[in-house]
Amino acid sequence: MSEVLVQASGVHKSYGGVRALRGVDFELYAGEIHALVGENGSGKSTLLRILSGQLAPDAGTVALGGEPVRFGDAAAAMQAGIATVTQETTLVPHLSVAENIFLGPRKPRHWYGIDWRSTRARAKEMIERLQLAIDPDDRVEALRPDQQQMVEIARALSMEARVLILDEPTSALTDDEVAALFAAVRTLRQHNVAVAFVSHRMNEVFDLVDRVTVLRDGSRVGTGPISEFTRDSLVSLMIGRELGTLELSEHGQVSRNPVLRVRALNVPGRVHDVDLEVEKGEIVGIAGLVGAGRSSLLEALFGAVPRATGSVEIDGRPALSRDTRTAMRHGLGYVPAERKTLGLVQDMTLRENLLMAEGSRTWRLRRPSRARENKVVADAIARLGIVTDSMDSPVARLSGGNQQKVVLAKWLAIQPKVLLLDEPTRGVDVGSKAEIYKLLDQIKEGGVGILVSSSETPELRLLCDRILVMYRGRIVASLSREEATEARIAQYAIGHHEARNGH
Amino acid sequence: MDTDLAERSETAKRPRGSGGATRMRQAAMRQRFLAVLVLFVAIFIYFSLTQSRFFTSADLDALMTSAAVLWMVAIGLTFVMLTGGFDLSLGSLLALCGIALGKLMAGSGVPFAYAIAITLAFGLAVGAVGNGFLIGKLGLPFLVVTLGTLTLYGGLVDLWSKSYTTQLLSPALTALAFNHAAGLPIPAWIMLGVFLAALYLQRSTYFGRDVYAVGGSADAARLSGVRVGRTLLAVYALAGLLAALAGVIQDARIGAASPLVGAQVIFGAAAAVLLGGTSFAGGIGGVGGTAIGVAFLATLQQGLSISGVQDYWQQIITGVILIVVVLLDRIQHGGLESIGLGRLRVRRAPAESPPVVTDGS
Repeated sequence: MSEVLVQASGVHKSYGGVRALRGVDFELYAGEIHALVGENGSGKSTLLRILSGQLAPDAGTVALGGEPVRFGDAAAAMQAGIATVTQETTLVPHLSVAENIFLGPRKPRHWYGIDWRSTRARAKEMIERLQLAIDPDDRVEALRPDQQQMVEIARALSMEARVLILDEPTSALTDDEVAALFAAVRTLRQHNVAVAFVSHRMNEVFDLVDRVTVLRDGSRVGTGPISEFTRDSLVSLMIGRELGTLELSEHGQVSRNPVLRVRALNVPGRVHDVDLEVEKGEIVGIAGLVGAGRSSLLEALFGAVPRATGSVEIDGRPALSRDTRTAMRHGLGYVPAERKTLGLVQDMTLRENLLMAEGSRTWRLRRPSRARENKVVADAIARLGIVTDSMDSPVARLSGGNQQKVVLAKWLAIQPKVLLLDEPTRGVDVGSKAEIYKLLDQIKEGGVGILVSSSETPELRLLCDRILVMYRGRIVASLSREEATEARIAQYAIGHHEARNGH
Repeated sequence: MDTDLAERSETAKRPRGSGGATRMRQAAMRQRFLAVLVLFVAIFIYFSLTQSRFFTSADLDALMTSAAVLWMVAIGLTFVMLTGGFDLSLGSLLALCGIALGKLMAGSGVPFAYAIAITLAFGLAVGAVGNGFLIGKLGLPFLVVTLGTLTLYGGLVDLWSKSYTTQLLSPALTALAFNHAAGLPIPAWIMLGVFLAALYLQRSTYFGRDVYAVGGSADAARLSGVRVGRTLLAVYALAGLLAALAGVIQDARIGAASPLVGAQVIFGAAAAVLLGGTSFAGGIGGVGGTAIGVAFLATLQQGLSISGVQDYWQQIITGVILIVVVLLDRIQHGGLESIGLGRLRVRRAPAESPPVVTDGS
């Protein structure tokens, strides 16, 4: 192995009282692909942000090529040769590939302006080095997501990056696209670039990397050549305990009288052949990684994605919705993950937000009955325990937990048969979380079927009667409350079963 | 002042927690509304004291009559801007409706009342089909669509009128502009009626709520079952209807159907709406503020005219006031940094990343 290019020693970082990193060491060699793995919250992102100059460590040092460095910001890190590519691209969609590679003042110049010919030529050189099948004149928006990521990698390459950090680059990609991305990354390795790679998918880690570092609860719990690990040993290190045996017969409990019944639901590129049932008075959870298709599934059921196909039945009646109003008429309510932008209209009052769905089928020129509305709103405030000084308070003034209760109240006001919830407690403090859980339990007791997606496994285990696990757009497991240990959910969510199945 | 504004004043006093940007914006709108109200009272008193002619009933009548055209267009535009849109075509639609009324009255023997009704229906329909359908139902960008219809209607006006002004010698039409009822000129009553109807629509109907919801967040509104497309169609239709009413009053004022009037009205209307505190971004403001904005602009122009100030100075003063009012409340709420002057004093601190503890989500 060649020299150590990046050396982090004893790095500590806390946010408020939460310790994200507790003295982590990390070495990255030139010409290697190094996976950084760990569960959500293990500190991977924090470490990468420190390496890429976006965060300053509380204690500890980072050295690049033997020299201690402390970057003021990401631009300084880039200058020093450390480039980062994340799932969110930083490209300008309307510009060409060449312009994006040399974005800003980096384009070659004549004395009278930009030298387009050599800009294009140098872009072509980068593209060829990565062996990509794209043209420097292609517009970025016309490229596939993986090709867009390659353009970012090409940009990093054009800056003579010695270190490339790939933070979950594959979560939005299809299998073919992942293969193309990996080919490009291997090319970089030949050019002696050090690549740090974060993925939750075990197959990818074993396919691609040379060495691996495992983080758990902010500490390094293992590091070494990938050949020293097995899938089982790696997953055990990540979750901190031995795995039980894995049964694959957990799929497909047939319900007797489901309020929601979904068959072969598809959203092109996002959700594949989803079957599921939710009973009256049952809470069904959906677990899975970010990008596994949880949100798309809920959006499709609520008619917010126009291209969904398949069969949806509510109380036995067909209810595949092309738009949200149809979904509402079928008895669906939907609490989106982005509360601030999609759940509520921030400029409006609590009252107006709470009544927005309830009045949607009324003749528009009618004057809302103030007395009736007051009763509906007052009841909701009392029932859900919304803390506010007035029902006409601007909703933006409420706390996150109270805002989320307003969103819930909005849907309870139309007496839904099925409630779809996406990350119902995101950005909500601990006290309000418990209240929301209690509310969902009450709603369920009232005979409503609830389908809830969450990236917090403990939340799902607490709330749900049954947990479905999604992986790359498919439901890969249906676990009862007793079966659904965190370890087991994590195994399915990271695609561990694929290896066992021989995929 | 309506209750919305009262709430927003409370809001302004308690800037804390999340959503600060929104509250700052609401407070800024309210501030602008109040600033313009004070300015309006100030110039009204100033002109009353310095210009002996200003407070005569003839001049107040003229003030109200000349304000009526701007008033109608500005109120229609307020609803459009509350949804986060804009309608560039209202001025030329006004002219088109004026010509339509002229054709109906001059050529054929259509009774006066029918002619008015047909003209209003025409404006409503053109607004609904021309802008509303394309923007609301087909989802085309409002600037492109209304720029297109602005040009289109302008061409139709010339085609239809052959670029001639037609005199309209109808006593009924003249009465509409110059007769009095209960001490006020008829246009003042029309203004009052339109204002109250608009205020009712804005504050007391489901439609009014839809307008604010669409302007606040069209996606959130759609996810709550609000028919966003239909709401947009309705506001452009309403703006068309009010532009037609403005066209009728315009014809009555000058006693003719002229292809030359109208085009500039949209800029005055936009200035009035903005001065009144309605945001270009939608979701904030209302017709109450617009009324103050129109009253201010009309008084300013009337007063300056009486004072013998040249027309071009009036334009320059109006433009400067609009920019200064917007600039001042931006500085008041965001400091010099908010208008890009902060860098002159301090170098920008490196952006601190928000604390994110969990990975991958």
